[in-house]
Amino acid sequence: MKKIISIFVLLISFTFTSNSYSKTEIHWWYGNSGFLGDVIIEIANRFNDSQDEYMVIPTGKGSYEDNMAATIAAFRAGDQPHYSQVYDAGAAIMVAQVKNGVVIGFEEMAEKYGISVDADNYIPGIKNFYADENGKMIGVPFNSSTCLMYANMDILNEVGIEEVPKTYEDFEAMAQKIADAGYIPLLQSHSPWIWTENFFSRHNLLMTDGNNGYDAVPTKTLFAETDAFVMHWSKVKEWYEKGWYGYKGRAWGDNQAPFTNGEAAFWFGSAASFGGMKGVLPNFTTNPILYWDSVTGGKEYPTFIGGAANWILNGHTEEEYKGLAKFIEFMGSPEMDLYYHNMTGYAAVTKGGIELAETINFYRTSPYHKAVGDQLGLEGSTIPGGYRAGNWPQIREVIYENVEPMLNGDMSVEKALGNMDKGSAKLLKQFAKTL
Amino acid sequence: MKKVQFTSKYSQYFFLAPQLLILLIFLYWPIVQTFRDAFTMQDAFGFGSQFAGFDNFLFIFSDPSYLTAFKFTLIYSFVITLITGSMGLLLAVQANGIMHGKNAYKTLLIWPYAIAPAVVGVMANYFFSERYGLLYSLFNNLWGFNWYEDVFDAYIYVIIAGSWKQISANFIFFLAGLQAIQKTVIEASIIDCKSNMRRFWTITFPLLMPTTFFLIIINITYAFFDTFGIIDTTTIGAPGSETKTLVYKAYIDGFRGLDLGSAGAQSIMMMLIVLVITIFQFRYIEGKIHYN
Repeated sequence: MKKIISIFVLLISFTFTSNSYSKTEIHWWYGNSGFLGDVIIEIANRFNDSQDEYMVIPTGKGSYEDNMAATIAAFRAGDQPHYSQVYDAGAAIMVAQVKNGVVIGFEEMAEKYGISVDADNYIPGIKNFYADENGKMIGVPFNSSTCLMYANMDILNEVGIEEVPKTYEDFEAMAQKIADAGYIPLLQSHSPWIWTENFFSRHNLLMTDGNNGYDAVPTKTLFAETDAFVMHWSKVKEWYEKGWYGYKGRAWGDNQAPFTNGEAAFWFGSAASFGGMKGVLPNFTTNPILYWDSVTGGKEYPTFIGGAANWILNGHTEEEYKGLAKFIEFMGSPEMDLYYHNMTGYAAVTKGGIELAETINFYRTSPYHKAVGDQLGLEGSTIPGGYRAGNWPQIREVIYENVEPMLNGDMSVEKALGNMDKGSAKLLKQFAKTL
Repeated sequence: MKKVQFTSKYSQYFFLAPQLLILLIFLYWPIVQTFRDAFTMQDAFGFGSQFAGFDNFLFIFSDPSYLTAFKFTLIYSFVITLITGSMGLLLAVQANGIMHGKNAYKTLLIWPYAIAPAVVGVMANYFFSERYGLLYSLFNNLWGFNWYEDVFDAYIYVIIAGSWKQISANFIFFLAGLQAIQKTVIEASIIDCKSNMRRFWTITFPLLMPTTFFLIIINITYAFFDTFGIIDTTTIGAPGSETKTLVYKAYIDGFRGLDLGSAGAQSIMMMLIVLVITIFQFRYIEGKIHYN
């Protein structure tokens, strides 16, 4: 008996003397999984090894949606983490929570705890996406991607296409050739994000009233009344019927798989998608996403930032926030920014990171990484660099629900886009009531 | 034997307390919360909460995808009940009649019951994947099956995925019901009637009515509530919102869309539906069943 007790006591004392006990713990929740989740754990490990006062504990909660729901549930139960990764569609919800004391804005945090990386060090497009109506940066930019076009160069060579298309008009001119050779000309993985939100940004068009929600709380989306958008989806439907565009359901991976397996010529996905293709697909390139020459008159505009930011949540001790400030500073350093850019393909988000990339001539050895910065860095847009619309996760669902009946012929394009507007307007109204 | 009796007037409450506490915490408290959510409007974090009257209910009934989910859930529970009930009964009768290897058949037929719905969904995925699905390519060759866009094909997908495991549950209960029928009744009926079919429908099946009735309720509740994992791992409600069940829709709006008011109102609607179905069954069907 004595033996058992002494072993027990020994075990307990071990748990309490392990070195995590003396450190201040900072909890970071995230919504990436697989390889991207591993990189997040690696970042935390590097920070933990770099000093011994604080310890960042990353916890994966599943998908972006799962993590946002988990964070909210935790907040309501008074058990929220210090730092949480929330995606683009949830940005309006998070920014609106500053006034309720749920979220601490980055600039407030930087001022109070002296973070040497200031808001202006983040590249403007990204900074503005996560800023409030006064331009104050609230969320801390993290994994920032945008939609890109992936091209299978072997297929293009085989059918004798020399140049990767730049516009949808170019694509239309070559699609039949690709289809005739037995390949799927085009696939894309996210109808709301790529062919709705970023259709508007790519063509410098407003998506909602109230200047995309930056000037006033939006009351409706402008889908059916934007002629270019109606034209685009009419074309998509036509391509679908001709076999130029293949629809493989809503799952991201199901639409990507044929491209990765060399069965499709072009695929629209995220800047961070090439990790899974390297080593599988021998010869592919990343390119800016297509645009309609007829809509922009030959001009190219930048797309919105996709991906997610990290948000600082209220309700913890001074000591812990000091640690978090250190961690934010660590992640904002040029080395870490470039490390993350290199590992994942997400855009470099700090000016320091971009300068460092240029200094070491990073893009010469990593050609896949370049397109994202090129596309986001385009100038001349007159619309805001994002959208500030609540209930957006549900609006994405409404968009999905109307794309399928449109493609299978149950609904005309005008009717489907009208339905999207109707559903969105109701959800926007619902959100406005809670403000 | 000495009669044991408690002397205190309150000791019974003490012994009841754990169960009551569990009921209160896990059943009644959430119900109260749901009612509160359904009649308030609030943002995702619970701020700006204000009384909304029936706004949330009006909101869901003006939502076309809610009405679609309503329709689908009714169709889905009807078809699942029919398929799983009849397949379960057929298999039970066959398994009960064979002489050799009875136990092996029984065990094999009961196994799928132990598999979680989400896992069933993932397995169904393999059969219906466009890239490597056996059933996908079979159906695709027969009539151009494509569940990504065709509503009827998507129905087939989720119905097959949803029924498979529940057939086992029906099988177990029907088999137990068959074995409970007295041998003498069966033997007597064999003397009177030569036709297997006729004996089954006039003697055996009426004696199985209590089991059938029980299984109908179980199957409907299964199709309503337990198929969540199957929908989430197969069609995720597509195409359109044609294969969303009411539970799945409430989940999407509540946990993905973070609109607790609407999700609360949907939960209450679901409670009402189940209440109505159950009352209907007990009043109009149970009266026709003889338990002895």
